Amino acid sequence: MRLICVSGIKGSGKTTLIKAMVRKAAALDKSSAVIVNESGKESYEDAFIDDLKVPVQYLRGG
Amino acid sequence: MGCSLATSLVDLIKKIKRSHDPEFLFIEPSEMVVTQELQDVAAMGHRDVRYQVGPLITLVDAPRFPFMWAERQQLIIGQISGADAVALSRTDKLEDSSPEEIRNVLRPYRNGIDLLSVHDSDSLEQMLMNVPEFSAP
Repeated sequence: MRLICVSGIKGSGKTTLIKAMVRKAAALDKSSAVIVNESGKESYEDAFIDDLKVPVQYLRGG
Repeated sequence: MGCSLATSLVDLIKKIKRSHDPEFLFIEPSEMVVTQELQDVAAMGHRDVRYQVGPLITLVDAPRFPFMWAERQQLIIGQISGADAVALSRTDKLEDSSPEEIRNVLRPYRNGIDLLSVHDSDSLEQMLMNVPEFSAP
């Protein structure tokens, strides 16, 4: 397992970049999971993440 | 990041490692977290489970940089310091300043800042190359 962190202020594109990396990993037939702070929760509630069966865990307060 | 929050994050990392063991675990922390805190969390988790760490990537929102630099300079410095890769994001939305002007401001704290725009597939691909498995032939 490789741990990859994407930091930055809200709206800087963290979710967009992580989703691009999840897509890239899937294209290489590699599995992914995501830990996201609770305020970014809704961004990962979409069909693309569901279809790839990517586990998403939410970090309360962080 | 407080101690209890860091512990919660470590617990989540260990939980995912044990339950799914994915090849990649992506972490999107809150906007207030700095890179040193993430390095500390990664080191804490290493005591119990094995994983590789990095890249730790920091995105600097280019359009809002002047405001953020005025209001949250220490936060930005903390996020770019020690990061494996730093990119100015949303550069396609820049109006009042150029990427080079922002780079000049950040140069005392960080050399080598990439540009990232979702509308520029080359810049996105370049960011992805920071992940060793993505750049392997």
